[in-house]
Amino acid sequence: MDKFTVTINGHTIEAKPGQSVLQTALDNGIHIPHYCFHPGLPVAGNCRMCLVEIEGVPKLQIACGTTVRDGMVVWSNNDRVRQAVRHVLEFLLINHPVDCPVCDQAGECGLQDYYMLVGRYDSRFAENKVVKHKKATPIGRWVMLDQERCILCSRCVRFTREITKTNEMAIFNRGDHAEIDVFPGGELRNRYSANIVDICPVGALTCRDFRFRCRVWYLKQAPSICPGCARGCNIAIHFNPERPHHAGGRRVLRFKPRPNPHVNAFWLCDDGRYSYPFIDDHRLRFAALREEGGVRQLYLKDALDRLADWLRASRSGRTAYLLSADSSNEELFAARKLLRDALGVRCLLPDTGLRTGDADDFLICEDKHPNTRGARILFGLGENDPVAPDRLEAGLGAELPELLLVNRADLPSPLRDKLLAAGTRLVFLGTNDNATAAAAHLVVPLVVFAEQAGTFTNFEGRVQKFELAVPPLGDAAPEWSVHQGLAERLGIDLAFPGPAAIFRQLTAEVDAFRGLSHESLTPHGAMIRHE
Amino acid sequence: MSEIAHALIVTGYILSVVLTLAALLTWMERKQSALMQDRIGANRASILGFRAIGLFHIIADSLKMFLKEDFVPARGVRLFHTLAPFISAFCALAIFACIPFGPSLPLGDTTVNLWIFDSDISLLYVLALGSLGIYGIFFAGWSSHNKFAYLGAMRGAAQMLSYEIALGISLIGLIMVYGSLSLNDIVHYQGRQLFGFLPAWGVFLQPLACLIFLTAGIAESKRNPFDMPEGESEIIGYFTEYSSMKFGLFFLADFIEVVVVAALVTVLFFGGWQVPYLQADGFQLPGGTHWELAPLAVGLIQVGAFCAKLFFFCWLQLTIRWTLPRFRYDQLMRLGWQFLLPLSIANILVTGIILVCR
Amino acid sequence: MAKPKLNLLERLYLPEILRGLLITTRHHFANLTVHILHRVGLAKGKRGAVTFQYPEDPRPVARRLRARHRLMKRPDGSTRCVACMMCETICPAHCIYIVADEHPDPRIEKRPKSFDIDLGICVMCGYCVEACPEDAIRMDTYITETSSFTREGMLLTLDDLMNHHNEDNFPKHTSS
Ligand code: SF4
Ligand code: SF4
Ligand code: SF4
Ligand code: SF4
Ligand code: FES
Repeated sequence: MDKFTVTINGHTIEAKPGQSVLQTALDNGIHIPHYCFHPGLPVAGNCRMCLVEIEGVPKLQIACGTTVRDGMVVWSNNDRVRQAVRHVLEFLLINHPVDCPVCDQAGECGLQDYYMLVGRYDSRFAENKVVKHKKATPIGRWVMLDQERCILCSRCVRFTREITKTNEMAIFNRGDHAEIDVFPGGELRNRYSANIVDICPVGALTCRDFRFRCRVWYLKQAPSICPGCARGCNIAIHFNPERPHHAGGRRVLRFKPRPNPHVNAFWLCDDGRYSYPFIDDHRLRFAALREEGGVRQLYLKDALDRLADWLRASRSGRTAYLLSADSSNEELFAARKLLRDALGVRCLLPDTGLRTGDADDFLICEDKHPNTRGARILFGLGENDPVAPDRLEAGLGAELPELLLVNRADLPSPLRDKLLAAGTRLVFLGTNDNATAAAAHLVVPLVVFAEQAGTFTNFEGRVQKFELAVPPLGDAAPEWSVHQGLAERLGIDLAFPGPAAIFRQLTAEVDAFRGLSHESLTPHGAMIRHE
Repeated sequence: MSEIAHALIVTGYILSVVLTLAALLTWMERKQSALMQDRIGANRASILGFRAIGLFHIIADSLKMFLKEDFVPARGVRLFHTLAPFISAFCALAIFACIPFGPSLPLGDTTVNLWIFDSDISLLYVLALGSLGIYGIFFAGWSSHNKFAYLGAMRGAAQMLSYEIALGISLIGLIMVYGSLSLNDIVHYQGRQLFGFLPAWGVFLQPLACLIFLTAGIAESKRNPFDMPEGESEIIGYFTEYSSMKFGLFFLADFIEVVVVAALVTVLFFGGWQVPYLQADGFQLPGGTHWELAPLAVGLIQVGAFCAKLFFFCWLQLTIRWTLPRFRYDQLMRLGWQFLLPLSIANILVTGIILVCR
Repeated sequence: MAKPKLNLLERLYLPEILRGLLITTRHHFANLTVHILHRVGLAKGKRGAVTFQYPEDPRPVARRLRARHRLMKRPDGSTRCVACMMCETICPAHCIYIVADEHPDPRIEKRPKSFDIDLGICVMCGYCVEACPEDAIRMDTYITETSSFTREGMLLTLDDLMNHHNEDNFPKHTSS
């Protein structure tokens, strides 16, 4: 077949037959203003912002609703188009309150952006604005509605109709009285509701959790992977590095989805999206040692000295390690090299995050850990793993271990009590405080995923990379650097110089990962070789 | 009256005049500079709401000096560091020993001499003590163990040595005319009259020497426009590492030197305690008019005249200090060596020629 | 800059020095006379010095003086500020710290829960005033005495900004 080309603004572009002009332009880096069009939703064609001139067609056409033809010549930047788009924008803003000072969308708002791009006119509207009914009204657990700011693009309606199929939202009334709302008496009940905040191009739908916490222009972003479940949805971590007085000192303020056609398309579930507070709340910042008469805080290096002593003292095979499926592949690999291979420690993967039945046919998985697949591959775990909490005691063997290292997990309290009564030394390596950390003899603080770079392997076997967003809190360190420190103290020749280097060691040693590297994982991750 | 009691009383008198004047000068300096610059100057120190046009600042300042920490740099030399301000103050004060503050006052059946000693080498004594003052500066800079203080001391020593020479040589012409090194003789000589009406003051006999002496004298006392050794406002000086009363002594010595220069200029060039036409028995105007006065009254007028002249030259020095900007160091050296020194030598020659031809 | 050419007399310095001394001495005695006249109650209209005896005799300030900030009020006495953080964003010294809060009236929506300005850091540039879309912050209190013995004392809180306790400090002694 011959090449299929269109010419947009003088650039001749190869196009896919059947695609819209707008999508073709966007795919090739030509921005045509648009509101109602969203690549993840069906085309509605009702905002008229995407007007373009097509040679041979007398009237301006909407780029989102026009399919490309071979040899089509399109202009989106000539005066005629610009003028038309400016007038469309002026109409959209007629009843708009322009209360940007109190609007959380300000800074990432389509109206602001396009006003600066094509608008820049002085308002000519002297009449009274039509005031809609609902201002700052919650319409669900996470979403706040402001009808005045809506431009009736219907993205949210289409989302609830096509993606969640829950149909909570609709446009009511007609003409300039048309307004967006949930059905009377209803509210958003789907588990993906906050996505309509993302897709709403204006401040009509805003996030109740993020509301008034911070202005968006104070935020920086880092690409990452959602740690909420085994799906591994791609996210951007939005954090506030410079102004700690906002949001009570939390650094990470929200997760936003990052498109990945192989995993989550454009979406993110509410559970994962709002799991971010653990990054700043109830964190373990410093090592702690439980002694006669209380708990003493100590430097990480001293804690590692102590832990190395304990490991040396109980090398007899009566040391056990409870892995965590929240650890990155790199961290797991370091544990495997040091604890399993060099020290012969018995390693188990407890299953504290499985919520049977809590899965849907879209994104949400039952397994609430991001890296169970990685842990299973790296530790060669079989069908009976992960070990359910009630079988954990049996899994630890006939004799209870002398030294038990627990990574992040909260042990069931009967088991914990039994271990303590039996004189087991309990070492907790973890990020957040819990009952096990409170009972442990030694606490080693670890960094969370947002404080290091690394990779997760999702349930399908897709290895995806996340980047460092915020610096570690206090003395907290990545798990691999803890293992490195222990190896140095124990005189074991192991080097873990950083996530990228560890990943190279890992791919060289573990068949399933062969051929991968941190570089090859951008932007959409890569599949492991099938075992 | 015994010799000793007499000496003690006169010493007390002279010291009180000098020290009061020096203390007053600290206040005058601020007030006068303020007036010259259309400001008001120090006026905030008050006792029970009385401000006494800022005079209490003298008390406030000295109290502050006494209460401050006496600091010696860790690696400084404590002995010399302590000694330096004393040397400075001592050398300045000791000069007054041979300066006649007035004539011999007839009190009842004794006479009181308003000088502590008079000898044939008084002038040499003055010059010698003036040179010794360098040690104060140099000890201060060296014992502070501070590069900036040391540099300041180097500048100070170089400057004082240079101007010492012009200062000494400018006086030679004067000595040639007066024919004596005794300050008393010099003052007495100036009681004469030139051409029957002009007082035979040094300034008329040796105008050039007077100018050179005044300039070099100000340079000796290290005040604007010759204040490179201290440069309180920007370049750091030799007493950088001084605080408390040690700094206070340096500060005071500075003002005492002002009084020294004023006293020497008065004695050497402006007739000392002489008042024109006032002879031992009263006024003797050139026209022949005679106005009888008691010897004591004459003496008191002359003492007053000395004080007035002293005060005037202090004022003049302050005025100069607040009018002229500071020289650059090379300009200062050029002025000392290339102008003042040759001029003073020329002055000797001219004086000699005139004396020989007469 | 070209150096002015000096003639012989000027290069001799002495006459020039005398001229200088004359000027300063004239000031000295003229001012001294005025001060003495003041003492005896005469010539009150003539100033002997350019000094303002601050704080008893404060200097007249310009109308446009940028002084300590204040936050404007709505008619009901609540703050006009909507915590939009334009001022916090523009502030080159990063000395404004606003924490936003929900306003009970959904028509207003947003208000500051706390609004602190650290005067110890503020450079008095007035950008915050320019940036404010609500005319909520102004620097027209004419309060220039803002020193404190502690760093914390330099922090203006919402309360300080709303009630600047110095209503009578307004344009009293201003020159335009
Ligand atoms: S939706 Fe956009 S234009 Fe409208 S108030 Fe919010 S930020 Fe401003
Ligand atoms: S609320 Fe937002 S997404 Fe929904 S129709 Fe209005 S502008 Fe579009
Ligand atoms: S005056 Fe300038 S520095 Fe001060 S708070 Fe306002 S913007 Fe910041
Ligand atoms: S710019 Fe004005 S309205 Fe916005 S936060 Fe500052 S003072 Fe308040
Ligand atoms: S984007 Fe094409 S009409 Fe809305």
